[in-house]
Amino acid sequence: MKRSALFRGVVGTAVLATAIGLTACAPAAEDDGPVTLTYWTWAPAVPDAVEVWNEQNPDIQVKVEQPAGADDIIAKVLAAQRAGEGPDMFAAEYQKVPNLVLSGAGYDISDLVSDFSDEFTDANWSLVTVGDGVYGVPQDTGPMVYLYRADIFEQNGWTPPTTWDEYADLAAQVRATGAYLGGFPDDGATLAGYAMPLGAQWWSTDGDSWSVDIDGAETTRVVDFWEPLVREDLISTTHFFTPEWNTQMNDGSIVSWAAGAWAPGTIASVAPDTAGLWRIAKMPTWDGETSAGLFGGSSAMVGSTTKHPEEAVKFLEWLNGSDEGSSLLAQGGLFPASVAGQAALSDLPVPEMVSGQDDFWELAADIASDTVSFTWGPNVQIAFDTYSDTVRAALDSGAPFSDALVAAQDKVVSDLKTTGFTVK
Amino acid sequence: MTVATAQPRHRIRPRVAPWAFLAPAIVLFTLFLVLPIGYAIYLSFVGLRVQGGAFGTRQQVFVGFENYINALTDPELVASLGRLATFGFISVPITLGGALLVALLLDLPRVRFARFSRTAIFLPYAVPGVIATLLWGFMYLPTTSPINYVLSAIGWPTINFLGAQGIFGSLANIAVWASLGFNMIVLYTALRSIPVEVYEAARLDGASEWQIARLIKIPLLAPALLLTLIFSLIGTLQAYSEPTTLKSMSNSISNSFFPLMKVYRDAFGVDNVSGAAAMSVVLALGTLAVSVVLLRVLQRRTFEGTR
Repeated sequence: MKRSALFRGVVGTAVLATAIGLTACAPAAEDDGPVTLTYWTWAPAVPDAVEVWNEQNPDIQVKVEQPAGADDIIAKVLAAQRAGEGPDMFAAEYQKVPNLVLSGAGYDISDLVSDFSDEFTDANWSLVTVGDGVYGVPQDTGPMVYLYRADIFEQNGWTPPTTWDEYADLAAQVRATGAYLGGFPDDGATLAGYAMPLGAQWWSTDGDSWSVDIDGAETTRVVDFWEPLVREDLISTTHFFTPEWNTQMNDGSIVSWAAGAWAPGTIASVAPDTAGLWRIAKMPTWDGETSAGLFGGSSAMVGSTTKHPEEAVKFLEWLNGSDEGSSLLAQGGLFPASVAGQAALSDLPVPEMVSGQDDFWELAADIASDTVSFTWGPNVQIAFDTYSDTVRAALDSGAPFSDALVAAQDKVVSDLKTTGFTVK
Repeated sequence: MTVATAQPRHRIRPRVAPWAFLAPAIVLFTLFLVLPIGYAIYLSFVGLRVQGGAFGTRQQVFVGFENYINALTDPELVASLGRLATFGFISVPITLGGALLVALLLDLPRVRFARFSRTAIFLPYAVPGVIATLLWGFMYLPTTSPINYVLSAIGWPTINFLGAQGIFGSLANIAVWASLGFNMIVLYTALRSIPVEVYEAARLDGASEWQIARLIKIPLLAPALLLTLIFSLIGTLQAYSEPTTLKSMSNSISNSFFPLMKVYRDAFGVDNVSGAAAMSVVLALGTLAVSVVLLRVLQRRTFEGTR
């Protein structure tokens, strides 16, 4: 008697709990009536643009959530999808797209996007294409530019280097004044950006197998260029966005930085005392090549668990491809990936850090119009982590920097094999 | 009739009552400890393997002991354990030695400012690890370090706190600063529970304070010292937030600097939850083994000593 009462109590509670859970999970969107799409992103420009969309489209309401930054988004998306609560759309840095697709997180939208793929350059479109499928829409991009302190350059009679040989000469001149010209690529993203114009392709596919070429001649040339500069203390070894680097950027101890076209917006908070003193120039070249490398940028992917892929694509086309959406993103500080968005940039005020460079947007859009096509692989993070860990250790140990490329190559290949890929 | 009803009641009560009392604990223990551990063990035997060519999707399949073999043969994990050992050899003896010294000093008769000192030494323990590391990080950074500022002002060479060698001392310093107070309180409390008659007898026999400390207090403190040693070792194995926070300030801290950083990186950075689960199980078993062996070896000596 007692036991059955207890049992009934437990069952009752469980049923009640399930009932509450079911009501909470009840789908908000039915087939008729307005659809609500969830969109995970970290970009501060998106919520304002979404507000405009929501006013114009009562039937497709978008709800922006910011559950994670760029680094944690994969883990969060995969966990949420396994729990049946995956977002309809989510932001993903380009180098994370293949990983997400192969993890089953992406929805193939290639049938839905054919009429607007030409709103983007081929180089940008290829970044959201994995195999035969298209899994997202490019949002912002990072064509590499050379950002330098125009005031210090002028005082000393320096000009922005047009080749890497000039860069090396200038590094010695700058060091003689006590400052550093810049830092060396101790992270995979910057390294890839430097190696891309040389034609480096770290990952490629041939039929059913992957090829990996991280330690190839092109990338080795890049690290071999930097190593003597670092060993002779002509170049800073402080990584960007660390407190030390921020201080040095602000007080003029570092006088230039190669980064994506988003850089002027980013360093506004890092080096506020130097507003207006910076200018951008085209990157130095290795052999006079014209295409720029890419550093940073992200796409908006459609989640595999979405029930409304058509509505999601409609929204993403507006946000990233249309004049209205992409100029809203540009106003919010993103460097848009679409041709229309980049055209809209020239109407915007020049960023505070480079104020005085009136042709800033024209120059940036010119650089962005010709960028390298690059394929990211399914395990980019392993390459990035291994390279930066090994190359930083080499600073102290004296091992050649190219060892870090070999280490990254080996790690990436063995991880691909463990995961079950065929590697050539 | 009375006999018939009394007998089953007699039988039911001892069968149900203990379980009813235990139920909340069992439910919580199962939900929040047994199930997660079981799930971690399950994860450590599966892996994501791709099916269907270069662009196939990853599927979860049973992989047997592959994750364990990979974990145990991973040079990164071995290297991270080596770095952890270096860190532990510096931080644990200094923490325990310092805590013992301070506890004994505070326990001296006629000591002044005892309450203030106790609070001041304990206070860092209340500072969260991340914040403590940020505070110390700015003491280490070349551009902001007051220590290096003073050193260079008087013409001495500056210290590279965040270099490949200096980093161990710098991390150990944060750990010692943060945990010395806690260990001091444990030891001090144990000291206060020693009956004063023992000291009175020793003083009547003409023992000095130093002799009392060496011959009476430290032997009687052995159980508490053993406890703090085990806490410190387990705490060392779990070191994570200090190196992770300091990572953005130092080139010497890699993504797999300490074992738990590697576990985190593998699980959430490179999407290898299964490998991370296998490593966690290995680390947990290792911690358990070290604790049990230490207890076995030291407990016998400790409690024989107190008798």
